[in-house]
Amino acid sequence: MSYRKTRIRMTRTLATLASVVLLGLLLLPSQAAAGLNIVATTSTLGALAREIGGDEAEVRVLAPPDRDAHDLDARPSFMAALRRADMLLEIGAGLEEGWLPAAQRGARNRAINSGQPGHFRAADMIELRRSITMDGPNMGHVHEEGNPHFNADPLRLADIALALAERMGDLRPDHATTFTERAERAAERLRDHAETLAEQVQPNQRIVVYHEDLDYLEEWLPVEIVGYLEPAPGIPPTARHLRSLVSDLEGTEGTVLHAAFQPARGAEFLERNLGWASHPVPLDPPADSSLEGYLELMATWAETLPQR
Amino acid sequence: MPRTPYARPVLAGLTALTLAAPGAAAAQWTAGGDNSSWGLDASLILEGVYYNELSHGNDSPAGFDDGHDHGHGHGDDHGFDDGFNLGHSEIKLDAQLGDLFDGVLTLGFDDSDIEVEEAYLTTRALPGGFQIKAGKFLSDIGYINSRHGHEWDFVNRPLVNEYLFGDHGLQETGVQATWLAPTATYTQLGVELLQGETSGIANYEGGQSALNGQERILRDRSGPRLVTAFAKFGPDLGPDHAAQFGVSGGYARSYQVTDEHSTRFEDWDGSAWFAGVDAVYKYSSGRAYGHGDWRLQGEYFYREIDVDRRDVNFEADGNGPVGFVRNEQSFKNQQDGIYVQGVYGFAPRWEAGLRAEALGLSNDVGRGDGETFGTSYRHTAQVTFRPVEPVFLRAQLSQNDFVDDHGDRDRGLEFMLQLNVALGAHGAHRF
Repeated sequence: MSYRKTRIRMTRTLATLASVVLLGLLLLPSQAAAGLNIVATTSTLGALAREIGGDEAEVRVLAPPDRDAHDLDARPSFMAALRRADMLLEIGAGLEEGWLPAAQRGARNRAINSGQPGHFRAADMIELRRSITMDGPNMGHVHEEGNPHFNADPLRLADIALALAERMGDLRPDHATTFTERAERAAERLRDHAETLAEQVQPNQRIVVYHEDLDYLEEWLPVEIVGYLEPAPGIPPTARHLRSLVSDLEGTEGTVLHAAFQPARGAEFLERNLGWASHPVPLDPPADSSLEGYLELMATWAETLPQR
Repeated sequence: MPRTPYARPVLAGLTALTLAAPGAAAAQWTAGGDNSSWGLDASLILEGVYYNELSHGNDSPAGFDDGHDHGHGHGDDHGFDDGFNLGHSEIKLDAQLGDLFDGVLTLGFDDSDIEVEEAYLTTRALPGGFQIKAGKFLSDIGYINSRHGHEWDFVNRPLVNEYLFGDHGLQETGVQATWLAPTATYTQLGVELLQGETSGIANYEGGQSALNGQERILRDRSGPRLVTAFAKFGPDLGPDHAAQFGVSGGYARSYQVTDEHSTRFEDWDGSAWFAGVDAVYKYSSGRAYGHGDWRLQGEYFYREIDVDRRDVNFEADGNGPVGFVRNEQSFKNQQDGIYVQGVYGFAPRWEAGLRAEALGLSNDVGRGDGETFGTSYRHTAQVTFRPVEPVFLRAQLSQNDFVDDHGDRDRGLEFMLQLNVALGAHGAHRF
């Protein structure tokens, strides 16, 4: 008798549980329809999305801007954010390959699957520079599509902003025109700001960077990359490599730039031995930035170089 | 513009490491870029282990002989020989069918055996946060169970996973359904219907032949014989911290063991269940190459086996003729185990870890008159160096402090040097 009672109680509990779950599922889409729920892997993409989306979008950035976006875990909180997203913005070209596919799979949200309109891969919208990992032996970290660090290039970001607005418009046709207008304005500001900053820097600057993550500065500033502190991508500077850099660059002038999260030792060695100034710089704007934050970051980069 | 040359010392060092470990030098494989056009990623994981037993202790922890060593279907031995070992290497193939399914095949091999470790499809397009996985896979109960050896922080599997489940953990053929709640806190619920063959929790023998009209108690039982359920929670703790907590459990409606003694078969037939909790915490310092990062991880599992025992003579002995039945009893085995481990990145690309384990905090074995065995322990320390992303070299020292069936404790000390190289495409790291 008591066995039967437990069964009835269990059936009831299960029924209640099932209806709660169903109710949750039914309520979910109506909630999401209000604004565009966007998850961006980096804060640079987040800044573009905020600028274009305005009040019509809510943007969450996954990768902390002061970290290497290569080396993250597919955290449970990432999957929880992606589960509810209407749109996923990624850099692509291998930058997030170490964690994003696992987070995407774990999110169980078809809208952001690769190939769906809700999945926006910025690298597909532009032409990439060659990555130095494509030359030389395969050391396990090859960006076959090209250099994915185009967050340092406002000109390419301008193109990406336009493509992003179009995609956001596909998902929210009511706001398509607004998105495009905002993107056009953002693109113009990016291009103008790049031009202004470039004019303030003395011509023919030579820079040494840590990783290939600032190569795109060549695209809009009067700079030439003359060396990397890493002997190979992903391998920290060795004494031997730094000595050879010093002997190659002896007697010339230039600047050393590296990301704030990268060890400063190599840069300091060049500073001592070549007399070059070295600057730790952020690679992405603060996590909650809109376009303004990115424009400030551009100025930070440009102002590390000798000004006219 | 000089494009940086690759540092020769690094390459020379790697070559030396590769040559130092057997097997690891066996193959060079790179997944061709052309393959990616039809969505197939291939990777090869090669492992070499140098093993040295510095002092010999008790072979196995008391109370865990039955059900563990009877695991059939596993050709390989989880133990290492003194000296060089190929370790546990893998070939992994990953492919997608549009955005509908992901397919995964993992073949595990050592120098004598090759085994399908996982072969499954995962749905990618079900609505409402649901996902179905079907095939042969590592169960998602607990934390370490679903992870392959090259993802572990130590050379060997935790005792609790090995002795409560099996040499490959809980690895089964079946179907899994999971649901991710649309909440800010990561909440995943899952159930699995599994065939039920894992030695520690769902050992299966099937019907055994009758003897001189004397029926044995072991019967065929159709699958699925094992059902599991789990829940995982992961609060959002900001950029520096991340954690995941899990509870899981399972019920095997068939747990069968047969043992051949000198003149009789000993048969067990019954059921088993388990339950456990797991927790992982990760701290990210934000510095390069993992310097200053922390990982803490722990799991506890409890297992109860509830069986009927019946012995049948296949040869006449002092107790009776062929077909003579004795030792008819019903009993329970109640056992558990726990481990806690921490790993710290003490320098760029270097990490060190400690693991403390206890097996049989409860160790009641009901067979015969029933016996309560003592608790066995193991303490492990490791240092790992990652010269480049896909390569690691790990030195590990383990002290086994096992108690034997007579309550005598003996300590053994083991040293292991592991070289692990991942070639080809790199799958994304799970949390």
